[in-house]
Amino acid sequence: MLHYLIKRILMMALTLFLIITLTFFLMHAIPGGPFTSEKMLAPEIEAALNAKYGLDKPIWQQYLSYLQGIITFDLGPSFKYPGVRVNDLIREGLPVTAQTGFLAMLCVVALGIPLGIVAALHQNKWQDTTIMAIATMGVAIPSYVLATIALYLFALQWQLVPTFGLDSWQGYILPVLALSGFWLSFIARLSRSSLLEVLGQDYMVTARAKGLHPQTILFKHGMRNALIPIVTVLGPVVANLLTGSFVIEQIFALPGIGRHFVLSISNRDYTTIMGITIFYAAFLMLMILIVDLLYMVLDPRIKLGEKAQ
Amino acid sequence: MTDIHVTVPKEKWTPVDRGAQDAEFIAAPSLTYWQDVRQRMWRNKPAMASLAFIILLILAAIFGPMLTHHTYYDQDLKLSNIPPIFEVYKAEPADAPAQYVFLNSGNFKLYEVAENGEILGLVRAKRKDLMKKQHIYVFGDAEVRVDYSQLPATLVDGDGNAVESIGYRWNQTNWFGTDSLGRDVLVRQLYGARISLTVAFVAAMVNFFIGVFYGGIAGYFGGNVDNVMMRIVEIIATIPLTLYVILMMVVFQSGFLSIIIAIGSVFWVDMARIVRGQMLSLKNQDYVAAAKTMGASTKRILTRHLLPNTMGPILVTLTLLIPSAIFIESFMSFIGLGVSVPMASWGTLTAEAVETLRAYPHQLFFPAAAISLTMFAFNFLGDGLRDALDPRLRK
Repeated sequence: MLHYLIKRILMMALTLFLIITLTFFLMHAIPGGPFTSEKMLAPEIEAALNAKYGLDKPIWQQYLSYLQGIITFDLGPSFKYPGVRVNDLIREGLPVTAQTGFLAMLCVVALGIPLGIVAALHQNKWQDTTIMAIATMGVAIPSYVLATIALYLFALQWQLVPTFGLDSWQGYILPVLALSGFWLSFIARLSRSSLLEVLGQDYMVTARAKGLHPQTILFKHGMRNALIPIVTVLGPVVANLLTGSFVIEQIFALPGIGRHFVLSISNRDYTTIMGITIFYAAFLMLMILIVDLLYMVLDPRIKLGEKAQ
Repeated sequence: MTDIHVTVPKEKWTPVDRGAQDAEFIAAPSLTYWQDVRQRMWRNKPAMASLAFIILLILAAIFGPMLTHHTYYDQDLKLSNIPPIFEVYKAEPADAPAQYVFLNSGNFKLYEVAENGEILGLVRAKRKDLMKKQHIYVFGDAEVRVDYSQLPATLVDGDGNAVESIGYRWNQTNWFGTDSLGRDVLVRQLYGARISLTVAFVAAMVNFFIGVFYGGIAGYFGGNVDNVMMRIVEIIATIPLTLYVILMMVVFQSGFLSIIIAIGSVFWVDMARIVRGQMLSLKNQDYVAAAKTMGASTKRILTRHLLPNTMGPILVTLTLLIPSAIFIESFMSFIGLGVSVPMASWGTLTAEAVETLRAYPHQLFFPAAAISLTMFAFNFLGDGLRDALDPRLRK
């Protein structure tokens, strides 16, 4: 177990190192410096700016000092906002992104799985058809389309919720709905098919024959096994909820990390782009690791560390 | 222990009459695997409807723009934000022929139309009464006023009575209406379809050539080759696709080509994993061992035995990856990192519609419907293919 954990963390460090190197050199391969703009700067000012941000040094030296910064959790200064560090931008945006992301995740798990169970238990009845029809729509309609339609209907047309901002609890409804829509439907479909497969297994019949309580059968024998494929996709779900926040934060004008990221791209704020990319990648890898560890709790048969074929 | 004597009655020893062999007669022609698949596909109505939709979309995207004189970049600010369907009113001056007009309730402008719904042009107001919030138009001796003191704006005659409409007409000049710069929405939709389908095509090609090849090599050779190759895939897969595509767009400047490069360079990862898994399980099958024993070359084993058997999962993965490629392109274009203006993509069209959402909500309908229907079609086709290729998976 410990051996496996150490191996995984080393692998994560290597991947992260490669991502840092890749983004660093990609960002420095872009023609034109970060201070190139329509307004031509005086050469002296540009030289002074370059010196201040260490851009006059040879690239390997910049690379090393960037790596040094990352080890001490310092992602460097933002090129566009003087005096602001990338860490500040992330610290400022993270609560918003994390809140909506966490609520969306909660929606996915707390609504998607029960809906899937209901559909599976009433296979081919009206509950099943309705839930699956909605879930199919949820999988096919892109999040930004869903967000805009919801914005138009609920905020503009019927004025049930505010159009932007998170000042009241109603403000969370639309962003969370739009963010979780796809994965909610996906998880509902997956839990249905996964539970249906488990329900057909022999041990379910045995459990009934033993005279166990139907609820015990469903939760202790059915759901525990049906959850395994669902947990597998939860890692990627976290990833997609994070990147999905780019567009949701844009539409609902939420000041989260995704918005900073999109803004930094149009501002060509290279350190912010790099910093947020690395932050995202590190966060994601951590999530996937947690999901893998969750596996063992659910299914003792899965022995981590041994190569699965 | 007693001996068991079984006496068989004599009549049981008589030969079977020839008629009984009819039970063994094969009535239906025996079908190959692919013929079976085709039959199962035919019976799946949603999948066939989706396939028909996709084929129609491809044809429309290729030939549609050739059949019209509208272009995706031609602007006509006089004819901006025209809806696809409008209510036509008749102005009947006593001294001149009757004229037909419609009111664009979003910008309070009056347009002259032919009776069948063909747009003739913008009508200039004679006077604007800003106090009463009315625009006054004169046709011969008849007077028509656009009254916007109460929303939605209405059309009234000189005495303030509402004008009776002669019914709804479909816009004959621009079937889907025009956008905020007066560009034809239908043609822009078709160009958007071209972009989405090109992305789908590139994604499919990349998956087919790089993904299948990469996964095939890793799975077939196994060992260290597999280890190294799969580590690379693992690292690529750790970076979220959207993030990677965005980074690429920053490096190569936003534009259609960058999207193609970005999607093309990493989109094969999932396919490589699936093909590798298939290869790993298939290469240990007895028939492969048999082929090897008979001295078949690696190439023959790969092309005759392994690839045809992985075809099913490859096709299914393909139909599920294509919508995700289309989604990524439209997503990037939506947040302003995709195709550059004036080129239209379903993502930019949606983004443009969002800007005018308050005044012209109908503009959201066409791009949203186009992208959603296409995603539906590919999803249904993928599900149908999966059921047809492997009926055991049917749930």
